[in-house]
Amino acid sequence: MSTLAIQNLHVAIGDTEILKGVDLTLHSGEIHAMMGPNGSGKSTLSYVVAGHPHYKVTQGDILLDGESILDMEADERARTGIFLAFQYPVSIPGVSVANFLRTAVSNVRGYTTKEADSNANGVIGSNLMPMREFRRELNTKMKEFNVDSSFARRYLNEGFSGGEKKRTEVLQMAMLEPKFAILDESDSGLDIDALQVVSDGINKLATEDRGFLLITHYQRILNFVKPDYVSIFFGGRIVKTGGPEVAHMLEERGYNWVEEELVAGIVPA
Amino acid sequence: MTVLIKEPKEIVEATAGFSQETVRQASAAKDEPAWMLDLRLRAWQTFESLPWPKPTDEDWRRTRLTSFNLDNYTPFATPGGTLGLDELDPILLNALDEMDSSASLLYRDGGVIYSRENQDLKQQGIIFTDLQTAVKQHPELVRRYFMTEAVKPDANKFTALHAALWDTGSFIFVPSNTKVVLPLQAILYQGERVGGYHHTLLVAEEGAEVTVVDDLLGAKNSFQATVVELILKDNAQVRYMNLQDFEHTAWNFLTGSAVMGKDTDLRWIQVSWGSRLTKAFLDLDMRGEGGHGELLGLYFPTRRQHIDHQTLQLHRVPNCFSDLLFNGALKHRARSVYMGIIKVLPGAQKTDAFQRNGNLILDSSARADSIPGLEIEADDVRCTHAATAAQVEDEYVFYLMARGLTRPQAERMIVQGFLQKVLDRVPVESVVHKLEKVIARKISR
Ligand SMILES: Nc1ncnc2c1ncn2[C@@H]1O[C@H](COP(=O)(O)OP(=O)(O)OP(=O)(O)O)[C@@H](O)[C@H]1O
Ligand SMILES: [Mg+2]
Repeated sequence: MSTLAIQNLHVAIGDTEILKGVDLTLHSGEIHAMMGPNGSGKSTLSYVVAGHPHYKVTQGDILLDGESILDMEADERARTGIFLAFQYPVSIPGVSVANFLRTAVSNVRGYTTKEADSNANGVIGSNLMPMREFRRELNTKMKEFNVDSSFARRYLNEGFSGGEKKRTEVLQMAMLEPKFAILDESDSGLDIDALQVVSDGINKLATEDRGFLLITHYQRILNFVKPDYVSIFFGGRIVKTGGPEVAHMLEERGYNWVEEELVAGIVPA
Repeated sequence: MTVLIKEPKEIVEATAGFSQETVRQASAAKDEPAWMLDLRLRAWQTFESLPWPKPTDEDWRRTRLTSFNLDNYTPFATPGGTLGLDELDPILLNALDEMDSSASLLYRDGGVIYSRENQDLKQQGIIFTDLQTAVKQHPELVRRYFMTEAVKPDANKFTALHAALWDTGSFIFVPSNTKVVLPLQAILYQGERVGGYHHTLLVAEEGAEVTVVDDLLGAKNSFQATVVELILKDNAQVRYMNLQDFEHTAWNFLTGSAVMGKDTDLRWIQVSWGSRLTKAFLDLDMRGEGGHGELLGLYFPTRRQHIDHQTLQLHRVPNCFSDLLFNGALKHRARSVYMGIIKVLPGAQKTDAFQRNGNLILDSSARADSIPGLEIEADDVRCTHAATAAQVEDEYVFYLMARGLTRPQAERMIVQGFLQKVLDRVPVESVVHKLEKVIARKISR
């Protein structure tokens, strides 16, 4: 049982404050959905949790099981069990999914020992999960997540369709088996079948020892993936947290009422 | 004409500096026929008549020879005879064993030190021998092709010097419709403080198929003037890899040309890892219709290395395809130059030619110059060129790190990915692995 606690998190880019005191606690075994208007800072929050170096944390903390992760680089965070499915996954020329994922999985699962780590510049192929074992597991999971086996050899996201990118992100999550996964709009741009596949995937991975932050604009994924909590993110922080009914309310009424309530002081400003 | 009869050792000791006499001695040491001495002497004259490259020469504007001086080098090396497999330097043994070859030739100090044939080539009429032996055993073929068609002695100052003093080299002759299944491998390990003049002369007759790998090593504090001549008769298919990994104190001058007949198919992989300075002139000379030529380059200068490739895709006749891709990464204060021209002569209609040069700049003090060019004198052609210089994208690094890769692993993967477009087209898997290792080594230092 783990806890990821985001406490009074303030984040700036340059002089612009984007996150203005985010408080959010995730527990393993829970699915926490988060909805909020464009530009409110949801992706910024995901990046900061994952350790993006461009953002400056000006106040607050992020604790994994009581320990601050703010001083950790992104890769250390990944190794402690934090995963981010990107809203806009990059495509990296010449880097195949299988290639980098094998290194990623080897690091995260500890095939790479301490000495090997200091030797991280060494020859590709050292301190890696055995190729056959990796291949077998990858193939199985590709079938499970309905990702065509040719994707393993293809270069990361090069020429992938929007939906293919999202599915590849979920596939990576399945391989990396994180403690906490932040899915930043993994449901955007998916057709009905793909949404079903991605949802099934999330449900399969939603075990007792794993927590999810599910960022979405649409209530529809929540018909497949049942959240324990739904939060509304607005103006750089969470303004309301409740059960699945919050998502329905947003779907019906949009975000205007949130703003109105903010002005009226019904939700805390 | 005087021929000195002396022991090679004495000859070299007698050699002070570069002169016509040096050329005679080089020839005498090899006990060559008169026609070759003649060729050398004429080349020496050419060498003397050609001016040294100047910064004002277009070809040399970005690559200066400041502090290069022939007087710093022994003009040519003295061969020490052949060795047994167990006497070979581990570096050479390793290079030898890296690849499954049909046959291998190993050169050191101006001569062959080891050779082996894993397959019976002679039976098929295939010749794969060192050039000095070929001069004696196949004089008619060598006379016909050696620096007569692909690269002439007067191509530049260094080809003239090469023709006058050439020492090691391979002669490869593949008869019509004959296929050499595994690659032919030649490894040169050049010694210290000495001039080296390695030659590759390949003649692939009609319909012949062959893969050749040249591995160039050593050359500490030395200079090397290489010539590569690939002659493809109609329908020949050639895969050629020139893998240069000299010490970073070597001056390296390479001139190579492929003469391509009708419906030929060539893929030339040019790898320039080593040397303090490289100036390479590489030409695809499309002389027969239906030719398909690929010239693919990789470079990765670090520290103060300077790597300059100058290419020519010469379309003389219609309906040929040429594709050039040079990708390089640069670190520290390294510098690269790429200059290339696609030249389409009048009447060479339906030419289809590409030229791309990509540079990945890993340090702000590194610099890549890229000067692509087109000279087109036919109207119904498709020619495109592109040059890029970019840095490692922070967002790529972050993405990979968010997956658990360390920063060096992420950077290595991105750099290798950048070079992958060329690696993907290297036709010999063991060569790919070897190149990947060098890339990893270069990234980490
Ligand atoms: N690198 C950056 N430089 C400047 N401003 C930025 C940067 N990154 C984000 N912002 C700004 O921060 C705000 C929050 O952006 P963010 O991407 O976190 O929003 P979001 O809630 O994920 O929106 P969406 O629903 O559209 O994905 C936006 O106004 C955005 O323009
Ligand atoms: Mg977003």
